[in-house]
Amino acid sequence: MKAVTKSSSRIEPVVFHTINTIFMLFVVAITLYPFLHTLAVSLNDGSDTLAGGIYFWPRAWTLENYKAVFISGTIYHAAFISVSRTVLSTVFGVFLTTMLAYTLAQPQYILRKKISMLFILTMYFNAGLIPNYFLIKELGLLHSFWVYILPSLVSAFNLIIMRTYIRGLPGSLTESAKIDGAGDFRIFWKIIFPLCTPVLATVALFIAVGSWNAWFDTFLYASSDIKLSTLQYEMMKLLGSTMSTNNDPSLLAGNQHNQTQALVTPASIRAAITIVTAVPILFVYPFLQKYFVVGLNLGSVKE
Amino acid sequence: MSDTVLDKQVKTQKTRKRRVDPEIGVSLSWKTLKMQKQLIFMSVPIAIYLLIFNYAPIWGWLMAFQNYRPALSFGKQEWVGLQQFKFLFSDETFMMVLRNTVAMSFINLVLGTVTAIGLALLLNEIKVKFFKRIVQSISYLPHFLSWVIAAGIVATSLSVDDGIVNIILMKLHLIKEPIMWLSEGKYFWGIVGASNVWKEVGWGTIIYLAAITSIDPSLYEAASMDGAKRFQKMRYVTLPGIKATFVILLIMNIGHILDAGFELQYLLGNGLTVDWSQTIDIFVLKYGISMGNYSLATAAGIFKTIVSVILVFIANYIAKRLGEERLV
Amino acid sequence: MHKTAKRSARALAAGAFALTLALAGCSSNNTNSNTANGGTASPAANGDDNAPVTFSVFMSGPGQQPTADNKILKLMKDKTGVSFNMEFLVGDLQQKLGVMIAGGDYPDIMSGDDKLINAKAYIPLEDLIEKYAPNLKKHYAAVWNQIKDESDGHIYVLPSYGVYQGKITEPTYQGPGFWLQKAVLEEMGYPSPKTLDEYFDIIAKYKEKHPDMIGFESLNFDWRVFPLQNAPEHLSGHPNDGAVIVDNNKAQIFADKDISKTYYKKLNEINAQGLMDKEAFVQNYDQYLAKIASGKVIGMFDQHWNFQDGETSLISQGKIENTYIGFPLLYPGAEEWYRDRGAVGTNRGFGISINAKDPVRIIKFWDQMITEEWQKTIQWGIKGEDYEVKEDGTFYRTPEQRANADKTSWQVANKITTMHGYMPKIQGTYSDGNAADPGTQPQEFFDSLKPYDQKILKAYNKKSWSEFFKEPKENNIYFPAYSIVLKDGSPAQLAQSKLNDLQVKYLPKAIMASPDEFESVWTDYVNQIHKLDIKAYEDRINEGIQQRIKNWSVK
Repeated sequence: MKAVTKSSSRIEPVVFHTINTIFMLFVVAITLYPFLHTLAVSLNDGSDTLAGGIYFWPRAWTLENYKAVFISGTIYHAAFISVSRTVLSTVFGVFLTTMLAYTLAQPQYILRKKISMLFILTMYFNAGLIPNYFLIKELGLLHSFWVYILPSLVSAFNLIIMRTYIRGLPGSLTESAKIDGAGDFRIFWKIIFPLCTPVLATVALFIAVGSWNAWFDTFLYASSDIKLSTLQYEMMKLLGSTMSTNNDPSLLAGNQHNQTQALVTPASIRAAITIVTAVPILFVYPFLQKYFVVGLNLGSVKE
Repeated sequence: MSDTVLDKQVKTQKTRKRRVDPEIGVSLSWKTLKMQKQLIFMSVPIAIYLLIFNYAPIWGWLMAFQNYRPALSFGKQEWVGLQQFKFLFSDETFMMVLRNTVAMSFINLVLGTVTAIGLALLLNEIKVKFFKRIVQSISYLPHFLSWVIAAGIVATSLSVDDGIVNIILMKLHLIKEPIMWLSEGKYFWGIVGASNVWKEVGWGTIIYLAAITSIDPSLYEAASMDGAKRFQKMRYVTLPGIKATFVILLIMNIGHILDAGFELQYLLGNGLTVDWSQTIDIFVLKYGISMGNYSLATAAGIFKTIVSVILVFIANYIAKRLGEERLV
Repeated sequence: MHKTAKRSARALAAGAFALTLALAGCSSNNTNSNTANGGTASPAANGDDNAPVTFSVFMSGPGQQPTADNKILKLMKDKTGVSFNMEFLVGDLQQKLGVMIAGGDYPDIMSGDDKLINAKAYIPLEDLIEKYAPNLKKHYAAVWNQIKDESDGHIYVLPSYGVYQGKITEPTYQGPGFWLQKAVLEEMGYPSPKTLDEYFDIIAKYKEKHPDMIGFESLNFDWRVFPLQNAPEHLSGHPNDGAVIVDNNKAQIFADKDISKTYYKKLNEINAQGLMDKEAFVQNYDQYLAKIASGKVIGMFDQHWNFQDGETSLISQGKIENTYIGFPLLYPGAEEWYRDRGAVGTNRGFGISINAKDPVRIIKFWDQMITEEWQKTIQWGIKGEDYEVKEDGTFYRTPEQRANADKTSWQVANKITTMHGYMPKIQGTYSDGNAADPGTQPQEFFDSLKPYDQKILKAYNKKSWSEFFKEPKENNIYFPAYSIVLKDGSPAQLAQSKLNDLQVKYLPKAIMASPDEFESVWTDYVNQIHKLDIKAYEDRINEGIQQRIKNWSVK
C-alpha cells in the first residue's frame, strides 16, 4: 500500500510534466505560427505571395517590402515620437495609477467610494467623437504632443487591478510605519510602491502597449502636423497608399498602369509593417518578466 | 487533505476580509479631512483631471435626441426627441444583432477567462524558468497582430480545399468530407470564440500570473508539508489566491457584454452567415457613422451604457452578498 | 530586489522628466513654425507672384508622402514659389470629416466631398476662374455646366478626371466583362463567346479536360460586390449606372427584375454542374486574388482593375498564359454597352476651403499647372531623364526608364502621383499628338507587350485588349446615375443600403440552392426587396437624372 503511493507520487510528476510540456509546446506552436507566417510573408516577393503556399519560410526572398517601409524619411522621427509617448505615458501613468490606487485601497478614506465610482463609470461610456474633439480643441491640445499623454493618463481598468492588488497586501506591513507617524505619501512611496512590482510591471505593459499601438489620437487630433506623426500612423498611411492602387477605379481609369508594376502588394506591406511595429514593443515583456518571476516574498519584507 | 492548509487559507481570507471590508464609520469632519489631507492631495487632483477628460464632453449625449449635423452649431440643431432610439429598436434586424452581440461576447468572456486561468495555472507549474519565460513570451505574440492578418490566417486554415483544420479532421476520420466552416451560420460564433482565445489567451494570462506572484510562498510550503498534491495545491492555494482578481475582472467584463467588437466579424462574415455575424457595432457603423448619423451612434452608445451599468451593479451586488471582492 | 526596482523606477522617472522638457520645447517650436507657415499672407496682391507660400492640402484618399526633395515639387516651388503641406487620409473618412466639419478646421485646399459641400466648406470658384484662370476656363469650357454643384449651381470642385482633349486612347481595358484565361482560349481554338450559354459551354468543356481547375469565380466581399451584382445590367445592354438601369431617362432597380433572375438562375445551374467555385461567396478579397494568381480560375465576371493584382502576380511568376481576356456577353437582342466614355467626375478633384488665406494664388497656381508644358512635366516627367523624344516628336521611354517608374522608391522622389490624382489634368492627347501620359501612349503599350500576348492578339486579329469590346457609344447626358448624391440618412440612402444588404445575403443563397429550390429563394428575395422603400431610392435617382438633363443640356 505504502509502496504504491510512493511510486505513484514519483511517477505523477513525470507524467504531469511530460503532458504539461507537450501541451505548452502545442501552445507555442499555434501562437508562434502566425508570427512566423507574417515574417515569412514580409520577406517574400509580394506577387509571389499572392499565389499562396507561404507558411513558415519565404519562397522568393526579397527585402523590397522593408525597403518600401523605410523609403519615407519621416518614419525615423515618427519612431522617436512613438517611443517618447510610450515612455512618458508609461512612467506618468504607472506612478499616478499606483498613487491613486493606494488612496482608494484605504478603507477609512472618506472619498474612496465616490472616486472609485467616478472611475468605474468611465469604462462604460463614451461621449462620442465630436464632443471629445471639441474638448481637445478647447484645451488647446490640437496639434500638440500632449494630446498623446494627457487624455489617457489613468485608466479605470488599470486602477482597479492595482487597487485589488494593494488591498491584497497584508496590512501589517504599514502598521508600524503608521505608528511611527509616517504620512500617507511616505508610506505609499517607501513601502507600497516597491511591493507592487509584479502588478506595476503588468500595468506598465498594458499602458506601454496601448500607447505604442495607438493611432486614432494622431488621426483625430494631430494628423496635419507631420512632426507629430507616430510610427503607427505612418504605417497606416503607407498601408493605405499601397491598397489604394487597386482600390480606386477612377485613378486606374485615368492612369492606365503598365502590366509589370507593383512589386509590393498590400498583404506583403502589411506583413512588413506588422514586424516593424511589433518587434520593438515585443521586447518590453521579456524585460518586465523578471518582475513576475521573482515575485514578492512577503515574509522577508517584514522588517 | 491537510486541515492546516485549509485553516491557514481560511484565516488569511478572514484577515483579508477584516481589513478590506470594514465600513468604518468615518464621518465627514474637519478632523478627518485634516487627518486625510495627504490622501486627498494624492487623489483629488487626479479625480479632477478625470472629470475634465471623461465627463466634460458628456454633453454630447444630447445629440442622441437631435438630428445632429456637424455643419451646424449646437444651438441650431434640430431636436427630434426619441426618434433615434425608435429607429434603433424598431429595425427588425436590431434584435438579431443584439442576440449575436450578447452570444459572442458571452462566449468570449467564458472561454477567454477559463483558458487564461488554465494556462496561467499550468505555466505556474513549469519548473524550468527559461522554458516558462519562452512559452509566456511566445503565447502573447498573436495579440500584436492586427485582426486583418489574424482573420486571414483563420480563413486559410478553415478553407475547404486545403485548410489545415479540414485536413486534420479528415486524417482523424472525424469527418467524411471537408466542412464549409465559413458558409454555415451555426459555426460562426464558435469560430469567433476560438479565434479570440487563440489570439488573446497569452495576453489574458499576464494579469493572472501577476496575481499568482502575490501569493505567500509559505502557503505552498505549509501545504506540501501537509502532503497536499499538485492539484490540491492549485485548488486550495493558487485558485483562492487569484480569486479576487478573477472576481474583479469578471464584474468589469460583464459590463462589456454589448461590446463584441466588429473587426473579426466583419472580416470573417459573409452574405451566407450575415444573420449570425452582425454585431451592434457593425450596425451602428453602417447606419450611423457611415451615413453621417452621429445621433444614431450616440443613441446606441447610451443604450449600451445603460445596460452595462445595470449589469455591473447587479454583479457587484451579488459579489457583495457572497462576501467576495468587488468593484465599489 | 525591490530596492533595485525602486532605484530603476526613480531613474526612469528622472529620465522621463528630461524627455518631457525636451519634447515640450520641440512641440512648441512646431506650433510656432506652423503658425508661421499658415499665416504667410501672400504678397500676390503686391505683384510678387513667386513669393514663397505653403498651402495645406487634405486629400480624402490614402496616398504616399512624396520625399522632401521630390523633383516635381521642387520644380513647382522654384518656378511658382508654391509648396504644400499634404495630408492624406488615414483611417475612416466619415469620422475625419465629422470632426473637421464640426470644428470648422479646414486646410487651404481640400479634395471634393459631398459632405463638405453640404457644410459650405468650399468657396465658389466660377468668378475666380473668370478673373484669374484663362487656361482652366478653356479646359473646362465643354463641361462648364456639368461641373456645377447640383444643389446651388456654384462650382466648388474642379474635376480631376473625365475632361478629354484630342484623341482618347485606351489600349488596356479596365472595365467590366466576362473573362476567360488565354490558355483556355488557345486550347479551345480561339472562340469568341457572345452569350452566357456559349461562355459557360467553353468553361464546362475545359473543366472536363482539366478537373483541377475552378470553373467560374465570383466575389461578394465588403464593398467589392460588383462581381456578383453588376452582370445583369451589362448583359441586358445597359452601361454601368450602378444599382439601376435607365431606359428612356427613367431609372429603376434591376436586382428584382427578370434580367437578374435569368442570370442568377444560370449561375444556379452551373453551380449544380459543379462549375461554380464553392468558396466564391465566402472568401475575402485577398483569397480571391490568390485564386486568380494561382492560375486555376477559368473565368469570372469582374471589372479588370479589381483583379489586376492577381494578373500582375501571374506575370511575375512567368504564367502569362493564365492572364485574361474579357468578352462582352449579351442577352439575345441586347445591344452592347460595356465600354463607356469616362464621365466627368463631378465633385472629385480639388476645391478651395473657406479658411484658405489666398484663394487667388491657389487658382493661379492651378491655372499654370494645366498648361501643356506643366502637364507633360507632371505626367511624363523631365525630358531626357524620365522619357525620350524620337525625331518625329513621339515620346517614349527606354526599358530602364520604364522599370524606374514602377519602383515605389523612385515614384516618391520623382512623381506626385497622389496629388496629381486630384488636380485638374489633361487626358487624351496633347496638341503635338502625344498621349497625356505614358500609360495611354499606343507605342508604349505595344513595346511592353510580351510575344505570347502578341500571338494571341494576332490569332484574334486585334491590336489591343480593348478591341474585344465595341467603341463606346456617346454617353447619356446624365451618365453615370451612380454619382447622383443621396442625402445622408435619407430614406433613399437607407433603401439603397438595405437593398445591397439583401443582395449580399440572398444572391449567394439563390445560387448555391439546389435547382428546384431556386424559385422559392428567389421569391423570398424579391418579397424582401419589395418591403423596402425602393420608390424613395428610384425617385431620388430620377429626380437627379431630370435635374442633370435640364442643367447639363445647356452648353
